[in-house]
Amino acid sequence: MASDLDDEIDDLQAKIASLKKQLRIQTSTLITAPSTRQLFTEAADQPTTTLTLPRKDNTTTTTTTTDAATLNPKLRAQSALQQAHNQQSLYRACATLTTFRARDPDPHAVDGGAILGLRVEVISRARFLRPYYVLLNRPYPGGGGGGGGGGGSRLLRVHRHTLPPCIPLAGLAGRYLPAPPAKKPAGRGGDGDGGVGRQDLARFARALRREVVRYHHRLGVVADLRKAAGMGRERDEEGEEEQLNRLVDIAPADAEAKHLSIEWADGRTGRLVMGDDGEIVKLVVLGENGRDREAGRDLLGGAVRVEEVVKRMAALT
Amino acid sequence: MPRISVPTTARLPSSLRVNPTNPAATKILGRLSRSSLLSVALDWLDDNSLSLAQPYLREDEDDDDEDDDETDDFYPPARSPEALRDVYTLLQARKGSKREILDRITEGDWRHGLSLYQLAMADLQYLYDHPTSQQWSAYRIMPLKPPRDPDGEEPPQVDKQSLTIPRFHPSTFLRTLQAQVLPDVKAHYTFDAHKTLPLLLLRIFIVDSPYNTNLGLQQKTGTPTTTTNFDASRTVYIAFPDASPHLFISKPQTTTLTSSSSSGSSGESKSLRNLLVEGIPKALSRPLQRQRFTLQSTSLVTRNLAALVERRGGGRTNAAGGGWSVYTAAAAAADGDDDDGSKKRETPLDLVLPASASASPPLFLGGGEESGGGNGKRAAVAGLVLAGERREERAVKRARLVARARFGVTAVAGDGKGVERVDVVVEDAFPDAGGEENAGGDEEGGRGGRVGRGGGRKSQVDAVLQRAAGDEDEHEDDTQQQQQDGVAQKWRPYVRLTFHGPHVFAGIRQLVEAGIVDGERMPGWMTGEEGVTIGAVRHGRIRGHKGSGL
Repeated sequence: MASDLDDEIDDLQAKIASLKKQLRIQTSTLITAPSTRQLFTEAADQPTTTLTLPRKDNTTTTTTTTDAATLNPKLRAQSALQQAHNQQSLYRACATLTTFRARDPDPHAVDGGAILGLRVEVISRARFLRPYYVLLNRPYPGGGGGGGGGGGSRLLRVHRHTLPPCIPLAGLAGRYLPAPPAKKPAGRGGDGDGGVGRQDLARFARALRREVVRYHHRLGVVADLRKAAGMGRERDEEGEEEQLNRLVDIAPADAEAKHLSIEWADGRTGRLVMGDDGEIVKLVVLGENGRDREAGRDLLGGAVRVEEVVKRMAALT
Repeated sequence: MPRISVPTTARLPSSLRVNPTNPAATKILGRLSRSSLLSVALDWLDDNSLSLAQPYLREDEDDDDEDDDETDDFYPPARSPEALRDVYTLLQARKGSKREILDRITEGDWRHGLSLYQLAMADLQYLYDHPTSQQWSAYRIMPLKPPRDPDGEEPPQVDKQSLTIPRFHPSTFLRTLQAQVLPDVKAHYTFDAHKTLPLLLLRIFIVDSPYNTNLGLQQKTGTPTTTTNFDASRTVYIAFPDASPHLFISKPQTTTLTSSSSSGSSGESKSLRNLLVEGIPKALSRPLQRQRFTLQSTSLVTRNLAALVERRGGGRTNAAGGGWSVYTAAAAAADGDDDDGSKKRETPLDLVLPASASASPPLFLGGGEESGGGNGKRAAVAGLVLAGERREERAVKRARLVARARFGVTAVAGDGKGVERVDVVVEDAFPDAGGEENAGGDEEGGRGGRVGRGGGRKSQVDAVLQRAAGDEDEHEDDTQQQQQDGVAQKWRPYVRLTFHGPHVFAGIRQLVEAGIVDGERMPGWMTGEEGVTIGAVRHGRIRGHKGSGL
C-alpha cells in the first residue's frame, strides 16, 4: 500500500519535472520567437497593457501579480537575458573558443579576483562535449614585462583549469604565457628563445585547442578502430573460435591515447604508436616466436594513417 | 631448489614459498576477516593463479601408503584443486570462526608454504578491505631538460616548456626499477589493478637479504639479530593513476610484530622511501629517447585513495577544486536535485536559459559572466519569496548559498573523498591592531591560553572563542603560536593550523553552512581548492600556488 503510494508520488514528481522542463523549453522558444520580439519592440514604443496577457501565459515568473507595470520590465529582462544566452551559445557553437569573465571567490585572490575564463568546446561524434575551461588571472605585480597599465602587470597566468592531465597545459603555458622574468633579467641569459617574455594569449588558446581536439580525435579513432574490429558487439556465433586472426582488444595504452595496445585472439599482442595527428609511427606485433612482422603488415596494409586502418578493417569485415 | 644460493640482483620469484608459521605470513593472513580469507583462498584456487599457489594435495590416488599415513591428519589433503574449491565454497556458505579458516590454510592446505604471490594477494585484499590503512603521498612526474652539459655536472632542470606527457609501461618500469634496487635487498613485486578506482597498484615487498631463494625468507630463530631476516620485511605500495602523470607512494610498513627494531625503523623506512623516490623517476625515464623525468612532491598526503584520484587523477578535477568545481563534469552529475541541471552548460545547442541557482555558476563566480545577469533576477525573486521570512532563516539560506559558491560540489560529507589531515602554516604578518585578521574565521579553535603579548590580539581571540562555542569536534584546530621576532617592520607570529577529521573540508563546509565560519571572508585555502594538505600561507594564499593549475 505504502509502496503504491510512493510509486504514485514518484510518478507525479517525474511528471512535474518533465512538465517544468517542457515549460522552460517553451518559454525560451517563445521568448525568442520573432513575433514576440516584435511585440516587445512595439511595447517599448507605446507601453500598453494589452500585451500583458499573452506574455503572462508564457513566462515562468513566479510572481502572482497581474500588474502590467511589474510584469513588463521583468519580462523584458528575461528576454534580454535569453537573447544574451542565445548569442553566447551561437558564439560558442561557431567559434568553439570563447572567453568570459568570472570572479574568484577567494577574498585574498590576486588582482581583486578578476578572472579571465577560456572556454574550449569539443565536438566529438557529432556532439558537443562538456567544454574545457582554463581560468586565468593576473598575479604579477606591476612593472613586469608586458606594459603594466593599471596597478599590476597585465601578464596572465593559468589559475585553474579543467583540462585532463594528458593535455600538456603546463608546457603550453610555459611557451606562450611565460612568467615575467625575475628581478634580474640578466641572470637568465641562457635562453636563446626569441619569444621568451612575451605572452600571446591567442596563440596559447589556439595551441591548447589544437591539443584538445587532437586528443579527442585520437580517442575517437580508437573507438572507430574498435568498432571496425567488431569489438563491443555481442558475439552470438560461437563458431568463430577458430578464427584466430581476430582482434579481441584495442585500447589506448597511455594517457595521451597515442599508444594503442592490440590483442589478437591467439594471444599475439601488438603496440601501435601514432603521432599527434593520427599518423602511424610504428607498429610492433609480438607473437609466440618473437616479432610477427607479417601480422603487422596484414593489419596496416600500407596505411600511413590510423583512419586508413579503420577503413581497411571496416571493408574486411 | 638449488643447494647453494648466490647473491644476485634478481627479484624474488612469485613462486617462492614462505613457511606459514612465519610471523610475517601469519600477520598478513591474521588481519584479514573470515570472508576475506575465504575469498582470497578461492582466488588462489582460481585457474589463473593456481600455478603460483599450489595447495598441498594428495599425491596419488592408488598410493595406499600415502593414504594410510594421512588418515589421522586433521586436515586431510584434497585430491584436486576443484575439490578444495568446493570445500572453501561450502565454508563460505557456513558460519564459523576466522580461526578455523586460518588454521585450515596454514596447517592444512598450504602447510608446505605460502608463496609470495599468495601473500601479496592477501595483503592486497587487506588494502581493499581497509582502504585507509595506508598513507599515500602524491608525486608529480615532471620532465627534465636534456642535459646540455656532456659531463652531466650541472643538476638537471625541470623543463617547463616540455609537451611530453610521461608514459608508463608496467613491465619495463619494473625491469628498470629492479636495476635501481641495491643488490643486498630483495624485493617481490606484484601488480594489481585496483578494483574500484582507476589505479594500477604495485606492491613491493622488500626483504633485507642478499639471497633470492628460500634462504632469504627463512626465519633464523637461533640468531634473532641476523640481517637476513624475514622479520625485517617491508611493504610499499605505489599506485599509478590511469592517464595521469602522477604517482602515489605509500608509507613503508613493516609486516612484523616485533617492536624491538622500531627505534631505527622510522629512519630506515624513510631512507627506503627516499630510495624509491630516487629510483622511480630513473625507472620511468628513457634516456635513449632523451626523456628524463623527476618526481616532485605535490604536498598532498592522505589516506584516502579516492581523494588522491580526484585531485591528481586523470580527470578534470585536478586543478579545479573548491568553488571551481562548477566547471567540472562532476558539477553536472552532482546537481541531481535540479531537474535541468544535469545537462547544463554542456552544449551550446541548448538554448534553454540557465534558470536555477545551481545551473549557472553560483553567486561569486557568475558575477561577470555573459549569462551572469541571471543572478540579479534570481536574487530579486528570492527576495520576494523571502520577504516574509525571518532574518535568521535568510541568513541560513545565505550561508548555504555562500558555501555552495565557495565549495561548489566538493567537500560534501559522505562523498568518500575526504582528507583526514591538513597542515597549514600562516606566514602572514600580524595585522595592525584592530585590523582584520587574515585568517578570518578559522582561528576559533585557538587556545587562548597560549596567546602571549599583544592586547588587541587577546580581545580578538576571546571574541573568536565565544563565536566558536558551537564548534564541532570534527573541526579541531590546533593553533600553536610561538612568538618569533619577525622581520623588522612587521611581527610575524608562527601560526600553524592543523585540521583533523574524517573529511576536513566537508567539516569546514558544514561550519560555513552553520554560519560559524564567515564564508565570504574565508580564505581560499580553507575550501581545499588548492588540492594540497600541506602548505604555507602568504598573503592569504597558499604559497607557490598563485595558480595551482600548473
